[in-house]
Parts: sequence; C-alpha cells; structure tokens
Amino acid sequence: MSLPAVTHFERARSWRPGPRLVSLLVGGGAAVLVLYPIAYLIQASLSVGDPQARPPEAYGLANYADLGRYAHIFGNTLLVAAIATVLAVVVGFAMGWILSRTNVPGRAAFEQLMALPYYVTPLMGALAWALIGSPTSGFVNQIWRALGGDGHLIDINTPWGIAWVMALFEGAVAFVMIGAVMKSMDPALEEASQVLGASRLRTMLRITLPLVLPGVLGAAIFVFAEMLGSFSAALVLGLPNRFYVVTTAMYQLVSQYPPRFPTAAAMGVSLFAVMFAMVWVYRRIVSGGSYATITGKAFRPRVMDVGRLRWPFLGICLGYLGVAVILPVLTIVYASFQRLTAAFPRRDNFTLANYATALSLDAVRSALWNSLLLGFATASLGVVLMGFLAWLIYRSRLPGAGLIEYVLMFPQAVPRLVFAFGMLWAWLVFPIPIYGTLWLLLIAYLTVFLPLGLRTISGVILQIDRSLEESAQMCGATWGYRLRTVTMPLLKPGLVAAWLLLFIASVRELGASILLMGPKSKVITPAIVESWFSTSSELTAALALLQTLAVAAALAIMFAVARRAVQAGGE
Amino acid sequence: MSQASIEVRDLVVRYGAVVAVRGVTFTVGAGEHLTLLGPSGCGKTTTLRAIAGLERPTSGEIRIGGSPVFSSSPAVNVPAERRGLSMVFQSYAIWPHMTVFDNVAYGLRVRRRPEAEVTTRVREALDLVQLGDLGARSASKLSGGQQQRVALARAFVFSPSVLLFDEPLSNLDAKLRAEMRVELKELQRRLDITSVYVTHDLEEALAISDRIVVMRDGVIEQVGTPAEIYDRPRNTFVADFVGSANLIRGRRRPDLERDGLVVIQTPGGALVHGISPDRRVGAEALVAVRTVRLRIDRVRPATPVNVWPARIRQRVFQGDFTQYHIDWEGRQLIVRSAAPEPMAEGDEVFVSVEPRHCVLLEE
Ligand SMILES: Nc1ncnc2c1ncn2[C@@H]1O[C@H](COP(=O)(O)OP(=O)(O)OP(=O)(O)O)[C@@H](O)[C@H]1O
Ligand SMILES: [Mg+2]
Repeated sequence: MSLPAVTHFERARSWRPGPRLVSLLVGGGAAVLVLYPIAYLIQASLSVGDPQARPPEAYGLANYADLGRYAHIFGNTLLVAAIATVLAVVVGFAMGWILSRTNVPGRAAFEQLMALPYYVTPLMGALAWALIGSPTSGFVNQIWRALGGDGHLIDINTPWGIAWVMALFEGAVAFVMIGAVMKSMDPALEEASQVLGASRLRTMLRITLPLVLPGVLGAAIFVFAEMLGSFSAALVLGLPNRFYVVTTAMYQLVSQYPPRFPTAAAMGVSLFAVMFAMVWVYRRIVSGGSYATITGKAFRPRVMDVGRLRWPFLGICLGYLGVAVILPVLTIVYASFQRLTAAFPRRDNFTLANYATALSLDAVRSALWNSLLLGFATASLGVVLMGFLAWLIYRSRLPGAGLIEYVLMFPQAVPRLVFAFGMLWAWLVFPIPIYGTLWLLLIAYLTVFLPLGLRTISGVILQIDRSLEESAQMCGATWGYRLRTVTMPLLKPGLVAAWLLLFIASVRELGASILLMGPKSKVITPAIVESWFSTSSELTAALALLQTLAVAAALAIMFAVARRAVQAGGE
Repeated sequence: MSQASIEVRDLVVRYGAVVAVRGVTFTVGAGEHLTLLGPSGCGKTTTLRAIAGLERPTSGEIRIGGSPVFSSSPAVNVPAERRGLSMVFQSYAIWPHMTVFDNVAYGLRVRRRPEAEVTTRVREALDLVQLGDLGARSASKLSGGQQQRVALARAFVFSPSVLLFDEPLSNLDAKLRAEMRVELKELQRRLDITSVYVTHDLEEALAISDRIVVMRDGVIEQVGTPAEIYDRPRNTFVADFVGSANLIRGRRRPDLERDGLVVIQTPGGALVHGISPDRRVGAEALVAVRTVRLRIDRVRPATPVNVWPARIRQRVFQGDFTQYHIDWEGRQLIVRSAAPEPMAEGDEVFVSVEPRHCVLLEE
C-alpha cells in the first residue's frame, strides 16, 4: 500500500489557511473590540479644548487635575464600597461556613437557593428596598408611624442604605468564592490538630482561619472592585438625595446639558485604574500558591455537628434569603398590583391598571422586544464567538494565546458604564453609522460579556482531556472536522449554560445600555429606571415583573425548541 | 497491511527551560515492534508525541517511510493528521458522546470510506478485540478493559502505517494488565504493523517488543533486543532499571584474561570472570550479575571459575522464589532461587555463576 500521507511533503513556511490564521483573525478582532473603546476613553480624558470637539482640539492633564473638585464623589464611592464589602464578606463567610461545614438542615437546597440573588439583580433589589425603606413612604416607616413612632425608623436613601442593597446581592458572590475555599480544604488538616489535643475553638482559630484567610481576602478584594463600579443601586437610591458615586456622577455628567465628556472620561479612567489594580492584586492572591489548602486529593468536606446551634444557623440562612430575595420579590409583586403603594393593603387599592398601562405603551413593548431580540442575538453569537475564543486560548497553543486571554478579560476590570462611555466616544466617529442603533448595543454586549462567557465555557473546556481531541487528530481528522465532531459536542453543556447566562445578562443589562441606547433603539432595563424617576413606582414594579416574566417565557420557549430539536435529531 | 519504517535523528524537544528530550537517535524497521522504556519523566511520551506530530520538536529530524515529516532544516512539519499514523492514549481518550461503533468508525469516516465498508471493517475490528456485540453501546458506559479495547480497535481499524502506544495498559489492574499484555502481543503480530510502544513497566517491554530503547533524562542509555537488554545491560542504570542485579566492583586483571573472558579482582581478593561485549572500561570496573543467575549449593560445584564460599544471613520467602541475602567478601549479595528445598539462615554454602552472566558495565 502506498503512503499518500507521508509522501506528501510540506514546508512549514508555506502559507496554508489553517487554524493559525483564523485564530489570529478572530483573537485579534476580539482584542480590538476590547481595546478600541478603551483607547477612546483615554483620548477623551485627555481632551482639554472645547469639550464637545471631536477629535480633541488639544491634549493635557487638566481634566485629571480638575478631579479634585469631585473628591467628595470619590469619597462617597469608597465609603459605600467599603461598607458594602464588609457586609458582603461577612454574609459570604457566614453562609459559606454554615452551608459547607455544618449540619444545618436543608444544606443542599440552600446551596442551590444561593443562586437566586443573582437572578433578582441589584436593580430590582434597589427598587424594592426603595419601596420598603424610603424615609417618608417606605413600608417600614409607615408601619413605624402607625405604631406611634416619630419621623422614620430607617432611611434607604443614604450611603448605608445603598451599601446594604449592594451587599445583599454581592453577598451571594462572596459566598460562592469563600464557600469554594472552605470546601476545598482537606479536613485532615483540622483533624490532625484535634488528634494532637487542640480544642475545637483552638482548631478553628489556629488552623481553619489561617487556611481560609487568603481565599477570604481574595473574595474581599474582588467584591470591593465590583462595588466600586456598581451603578444601579447607587442610581436608584442615591439620586433623590443627590448622593453621587463615580459611576452615577459620570452618568450625570454625560446626560446633562451641555454634557461634560472629558471630565466624565477622566473619572472613568481613574476608576478603571483603581479597579484594574485591585483585580490584578486579586489574581496574584488567587494564583500566588497561597492556596495550600487545595491538595488535589479527593475528599469529602467534613461536616461538623453543631447540635442545637443548627436552628439559629437555619435562621441566618432563611433571614438572608428573606431580605435578599423573598422580601424584594414580594414587595415588587405587591406594588405592581396597587394604585398607590401603601404598607397596609386595602381592597379598593388593588388594580390591574399598571399592567394594562405597561402593555399598552408602545415604548415599553418595543423596548421589551428589542431587549429579547438583543438577548437572543448576543447569546447566540456570543456562544459561537466565545466558544471559539476559549478553545483558542486554552487549547490551540497559538503563540500569544495568553496575551489574548489577558486582553479579553479586561472588561471585567472596567465598570460597564465606563466601558460604554468609551464605546460611545469610539463608535460616534466610526464611518459606518451604527450609533443609536441596536447594532451598537449588540457590539457592546458582546464586548462587556466576554469575561462572563469565556469563564463559563473555559470551565468546561479545561475539564475535557486534551487527548480526546488529539486522538481525533491521530485518526486523521483536520482541525475543522475535529472541532465539529469532537470538541463542540463535548462542550455542549458548557455552551448551553453560557447561552442562558448571556441571554439573561443581556436582557437585564443597565450600565452600558443606558448610555448607548438611542431614542429609536430603547431597551427595557433603562426604560424601567426612566419610569422610576418619571412615572409611578407602581408602574415601574409592573415593568420589572414583566421583564422577569418575559425572560422566563423566552427561556421556556428556548428549552422547548431545544428539546424538540434534540428529539427530532435522535430519530 | 501497510508498514513504514521510522527514523529519528538528533531529536531535541524543549519546553521553555526544560529539555525533555536531548538528542535522541534511533530507527524502527518496517514491521518492527519497538519499545521506549524508562523511568517516569525520562522523555518517552515526549518522544512518542514528537513522532506522532502532537509535539513540535526543537530540532532534529523524523522520517516515516523514508520521507521527512519533521525536520528543523530545511523546515518541514507535517501535521499529525497527515502523517498516516495512529495512536492509543494512556487515558484511552474514548469519546463519551458517541457509541462504541462510532468511536471505532471515526478514522474510516474521516477518510470518507463508503458506509458499507465502514460497517464491515468496524465489525471485524470489534471482533478482533472481542467486543463484537458492544457496537451499539454508548462509549461512556464501558469498563476500563473494554475502553482499552475500543481504543485499540479505533487505532488500527483504518490500517495506519504505524501504531503508537503510550502506556496503554497502565490504567488497568494487575491481573487484567497481564491478560491484555498477551492479547496485545497477539494482536500486534496479527496486524503486523510497525509499532512504537511506551512504557515504564519492564515485564511489558520484555514481553511485547522486538527491540527496546532504554531512556534516562532525555537520552538513550541502551538499544537492544529484550534478551540483550536483560542479559547484557550496558551500564549501572540499565542493569538496575531492568530487573534486580548485584553490582560487584573490582580492579581489572588483564594478566589473567583468557578465552575472551575478562577478570576483575574484588578488594577482598575474589576473582570474577565475566564478559565484556564491546564495553569501554578503565582499570576499575563494575560487573553486574542478575540475582536469578547466581546459584547456591551446599557442595562445591565442579566449575573451574566463579565459585566462592559464603554464608546465608537472611532468607525471605516470596512465593515464586526465595530471596537469600548472603554474606560474601564482606558485603551482601542477593540471590533469588526457585529451588524446592530451602537453605537455612546461617548455612555455609557455595555461590557460583557462569561467566557469561557476569557483564562488565560502562559507567
Ligand atoms: N507540556 C510540558 N511542559 C513542560 N514540561 C513538560 C511538558 N511535558 C513534559 N514535560 C517535562 O518533560 C519531561 C519528560 O516528560 P515525558 O512526559 O516525556 O515523560 P515520560 O517519560 O513519558 O514519563 P511518564 O512515565 O511519567 O509518563 C518531564 O520532565 C516533564 O516534566
Ligand atoms: Mg508518559
């Protein structure tokens, strides 16, 4: 038999449209998507001529020098972020410890339920807590006065209130990070201490705490960075009292007349620099080998019998889910059926009018439709793009793959509002007029959600043994054939998960959308915020619920279609 | 069946600062079964993957069937999928989302064989590995031994010119491993394909190879048939790695050498007659004697050389054989004996060995 495969001579230098070229194009393209807006953000921050002039008339550092005038805003941001971080880490640590190390009743169920705050979103939480805790009309204060109290008991429109709402939602993130560290700790380390005669308390203080400390510190830094860039809670709760943090101040500067782009840009760059440094420190901690707790050995986390303390612990878990999920959702549902929201229900106060109004408004219908359309497009394109990028970064061995990963993870360190500002500036001058259209939002979503999609998919890619692809190669399959027959099918669960996450995240996106949507391309989340400030809170509550229902319905349809397709394919 | 020879010349593979393979040269004849043997981390897998095309060497040349598939100058690098080889992975790498049949059929479908031919050839292959009735089974529901057979069938079904094996049996338990070893050998002979096999298991290497390449730290220590490697290790590393051996050090006595034998004298004065299959050694020399080649007797055997009095210090019963630790010349020798009636500890005995089992080592 002849050997066509090996007699076929080949020069490595010769040009062949292989994985290398495609990878370079896609990877490079994605990197441009990320870096282009950042470059324009920096350019805008250095513009010292006429603030409206494009391109800038003159360059200088005056905008940064000018930031001194806004020192109180930076102070506000740090204050809120610090309070919220402490709260979130306390919540995350307590829940992480209780759910991974004690025999609290219903542990497994609670662990699943801890994902719920993510689905509630800070915006919905902020709206709900505004209804619950605003000084005059908040439910709690209404009840307080009905009981004979004076003035108000709580005031949510304060730094503390904002931090409280942010912490409720970021607490779930802290829980995931800290819980993972606690679970990955070899119980033998603690058992060794007890065998050597140390008491439980001593073991906890001398062994457990030092071991989980790096993980907790990492979570704290990560959460703090996220808080610095968070937007929705500060917008909803801070604006009534003219209490600004950096992101809301930027939004104000850009949307006022005349807008002050350069100042906003300088603020954005400063925030970006701080967050970037924090994320860098976070990565150093995580990869710095301080995780000696992770031994790679298989073990079951040891569950401690805490006796009667189980019930108070159960109370803590229920309490957290109560204030983060149950109370906000019930509040929004209740408010959406009210004429004028009041703490004490009256029969004649119930109405369906809010829903009728919401659904009759063309603006709302088109915003909802646009959001679903964008969510579908972002998720579908995103899965293909990010699936390929994840493969490229973790599997292709392309030189420079590490650099591409670094660049693509950039948006994680940039608040979406700041990023959107760069895009606004960048795409305004783009020769193809996409500004003010849904296309710009699509590009924005694909860019800002790159880290989310990449992380989800790479989690699965890294679990797929490399030899599964290599054995296809040894069977003679070319890279495209391998990708189609082996890699993609094995990745399917990860891709489905990524699709769902991207869809949900897109439909609920606020920070980038609020700056980038045009008058003819409105999307739903900014419309909800607009409604909050310009119409009634009851109508807003109805809108928020409609959004949630629309997402749920879209997901249900997707599932049904997917199942149908799978069944049809199987026959 | 097709066969191709493989030539590897001055192969160097570098991972950043680590040099995994440092200048390795060997050839595999058409139809030959060659094994790369060596301790963990010596660069066996890396060499195999370089032949496969899964690892890009830093320099050197690899030819398959006479044509270069890799060469640093002039630059040639044929991608793995076009080298016409096949490989069985240590992890089996069975695709869990396909049936057994589809796994095995993959290589044929890649080559766009008509579906009728695919069906018959996959059937034949599955029969050959004794999995005839499992074709429709999902590949994720197989035992380790079955996965291993699927991996085998998948690797040879499309008649590659060379089969590469990376420790294919290492994930099986000891008993199954011994069975599969025999089956694998049978299959190799039946298919009659050139094969390169990687293992760190000595018995496996001795059982299935025509020739063995012993590696250490990215270089070749010795190349030879299993018998050569076992009976005539080139140096201490090979002698030690390939089964257990006693190493005896002494001064060369060229004055006493006759009949092509070499003689060394131990510090205690004992003379050891041995062979030196073109070894380059100085005045000081080491001789390796396999523990199973030494004999112990109560009465002095009637051989003229290599007979010494000794005393049994310790006896360890190990089932198939008994291991004796013997006081000899102020040191210990280890002897493994399968003789039915054991000696007792403290017995005065004679140790003897044929000169052809005493091999001079290079250092
Ligand atoms: N991808 C890699 N990056 C860096 N170093 C590597 C890589 N792969 C292998 N090495 C190093 O190269 C050397 C040879 O590795 P190789 O896998 O070839 O060993 P081996 O002989 O197959 O060992 P084993 O019997 O354990 O499989 C080792 O020191 C290993 O640490
Ligand atoms: Mg290996």
